[in-house]
Amino acid sequence: MRKENFVATPRPKKGWSRRELPFHLMLLPAVVLVFIYMYIPLGGLIIAFQKFVPAKGLFGNQKWVGWDNFIYLYHLPGAISALQNTIIIAFWKIILHLIIPITVSILLNEIRSTAFRRTAQTLIYLPHFLSWIIMGGILIDILSPSGGIVNRLLGLFGVEPIFFLGSNDHFRFTLIFTDVWKEFGFNTIVYLAAITNIDPNQYEAATIDGANRFQRMLYVTLPNMRMIIVLMMVLSLGNVLNAGFDQVFNLYSKQVYATGDILDTFIYRIGLIDAQFGVATAMGMFKSVVSTLFISTSYYCAYRFADYRIF
Amino acid sequence: MRKLSSLLALVLVLSLVSCAFAEDPFGKYDEPVTVHFVRSTDDTLDANYFSQHPDKTMTDNLWCDLYRDTLNIIVDYDWIVKGGDEYDQKLNIALGVGDIPEFVNVNTLQLKQLAEADLIMPLEDIYEAYASDFTKKILLDTGHSPFDAATVNGHLYGLPNVDSTLMIADLLWVRTDWLEKLGLPIPTTMDEVIATAEAFCKADFDGNGVDDTVGIAIAKDLWGQLFSLRGFFNGFDSYPGIWVEDENGKLVYGSTLPGTRDALQTLNEMYQKGLIDPEFGVKDGGKVAEATTAGKCGLFYGAQWNSIYPLQSCVNLDKDAQWRAVSIVPATDKPLKAQTDVGTLSWTVVRKDVEHPEAVVKMFNVFIDKNWGPNNENGVYYAPLDSESIWKLSPVVPTNPNKNNDAFMALEQYRKDGDESKVTGEAYSILQKLKAFESGSEEGFALWGWERIYGAEGAYGVLIDYQNKGMLQDNLFVGAPTETMTSRMSTLEDLQDEVFTKIILGESGIEAFDKFVEDFNTLGGKDITEEVNEWYESVK
Repeated sequence: MRKENFVATPRPKKGWSRRELPFHLMLLPAVVLVFIYMYIPLGGLIIAFQKFVPAKGLFGNQKWVGWDNFIYLYHLPGAISALQNTIIIAFWKIILHLIIPITVSILLNEIRSTAFRRTAQTLIYLPHFLSWIIMGGILIDILSPSGGIVNRLLGLFGVEPIFFLGSNDHFRFTLIFTDVWKEFGFNTIVYLAAITNIDPNQYEAATIDGANRFQRMLYVTLPNMRMIIVLMMVLSLGNVLNAGFDQVFNLYSKQVYATGDILDTFIYRIGLIDAQFGVATAMGMFKSVVSTLFISTSYYCAYRFADYRIF
Repeated sequence: MRKLSSLLALVLVLSLVSCAFAEDPFGKYDEPVTVHFVRSTDDTLDANYFSQHPDKTMTDNLWCDLYRDTLNIIVDYDWIVKGGDEYDQKLNIALGVGDIPEFVNVNTLQLKQLAEADLIMPLEDIYEAYASDFTKKILLDTGHSPFDAATVNGHLYGLPNVDSTLMIADLLWVRTDWLEKLGLPIPTTMDEVIATAEAFCKADFDGNGVDDTVGIAIAKDLWGQLFSLRGFFNGFDSYPGIWVEDENGKLVYGSTLPGTRDALQTLNEMYQKGLIDPEFGVKDGGKVAEATTAGKCGLFYGAQWNSIYPLQSCVNLDKDAQWRAVSIVPATDKPLKAQTDVGTLSWTVVRKDVEHPEAVVKMFNVFIDKNWGPNNENGVYYAPLDSESIWKLSPVVPTNPNKNNDAFMALEQYRKDGDESKVTGEAYSILQKLKAFESGSEEGFALWGWERIYGAEGAYGVLIDYQNKGMLQDNLFVGAPTETMTSRMSTLEDLQDEVFTKIILGESGIEAFDKFVEDFNTLGGKDITEEVNEWYESVK
């Protein structure tokens, strides 16, 4: 790294400097895309207040029903539990998706044998490349209480067969566990990259000061990863109401709606299966509002406690 | 006699006159007319037709050839998906963006939405002008309700792909070889059904020592035509999913009847005894069918065709296996009734700007005429020996609703007097199948399923028995879906299935049923009931 990079360039007083202009131009296509695909569709939120007949079209003569769709949602059994499930499942996924990859990346970093490290890395991130459609099929088979390999193994230890995907006691755990198992390897990559960037001089200095391996991990590696950890945390909090549609959709069934139905699957059923577009949009809007609250809070916390700013 | 013949002559002249005014129902276009449909396909087509005819496609097959040669109509598809659920989803999205195909098969809800959005055209004039007399007769065979359901603001917007109502009624399929081994009679009451289920479970006929036999097979889709629960509920004087009269002559939703509560409670008791697969909530009909064919079940409710699929595979695997369809059984002392419904599940609608809307009426004419008309070639076009379900290749499938009844009655007559000359059309091709089975040959054995439907103790005999003894409970609401029904009904049905599944599995107590009835009313059921009764008053 060259020293000049750390010297702050004085801000130009007016307009964009010639140096900045190309960067802004490069940004332009992304801004246009965001505008087209993120901002214009916001107009569709009006559907939440209509008795929407799709065939009449978005600008057709739709009947205005005010808050009816929201009131209907409030009375609909399952809507509230879908919200609860979403928060619980997403919360655990966020926590574990931070802790486990960080731990694994630090441990991997300490391994001396490069061959072993590389192999381990490859093996743990392979499941990431399988889609949930395929994983779902595999999991339904291996977790089956009648003849699934997991229950057969448990049976060897005298455990009664557990219906992981059909029992409300186990479904959330199964969701969280399988998701973390599938994704932790891939998430490790980011942290490993952060660790590689740490200045080796710091380790050397720590060693000279008599720090053992564990202390070096604690006092050199972790503090240096702080920024990336906070960044990943803030970014993931935006997902607090995304508990993973693909996964839940492929694994759930009517009998575990009570613990496994999430907002996205709920919206999918109401909107695409039952064709109640107004109600589905109302639910989606509600989800967006709650998400915005969560993201604002997390951004504020990151700024307040870790002095981290995205903008 | 003379009077009669002069009357006949008059009718003949009149029909000739009317023909002169009407267009030619079978007229061939001078220039090729391409019609664009969308469609779904299914396992039976793949297994029975495409696997044996790998060079054929959806747009290049017997039926497409027929439409091209007789009418100069080229059939094309904008998209094809596998399975009915996928079809509905894709169609709902297409409707959502207003991008509908030229010709499309829809259900009544979709039809009403399209008509209200003014995207499809009224068909009554075209239908009157182009439908052949035989088509008109067939389409009215189940009464006027298929047309009522497609009439919006006084205009007919869809041609009904009619089908039999009787066929919807559930039967109880029993493995009679197991009954014989255990010395049990054919069950005739609910207690006997439960006792039989228990005995089957205990006997462990596959002899693997594992407790994997289920007493009564059900699948996650509770009301299908295979591994259904309708017949079971009917035994408790409960009629899920259809509208029936209460004691005051008002229509009520059958799922909310008190009998439903008793049926659910009994199912939960059976679940606790281990007679119901704890995994049924995650298994679709295909998965349950695998277990049934593997000899893990000897009792279930279903439709008359279940012997062809999936039970044929069961006997193919185990030559000693024997199944028989018998009447559903009562659990109360109230009169036993099996529920039916409007057999018509889809209506063909035509986009507003289509140039030749009458093409679809002509296709209806050809389909009905080739399969059941006076000069039919049913043995070639409907279900020939080597390519079962070939009829599904046609984009429109109006079925002669009484064809199976007629065929069974003709075969019964033949069994009495042995006069083969009177057995014609579809009955004749079925008779060939029955004879092939009786011959004991290997190919004949593959037709065991047909013998179980049309043979002397066939499933159709039970259905006809229902009919003759007045044991049918029709759906009394057959109009176009009401205002609230259009938006809320499918969510209510989902709710119902979820609650019922939970009660059966003991996740919820039986009091969840009372909560369901309450929720049903708050979430639109009350309005729907009022609208349905308004309609009922208007047609009385």
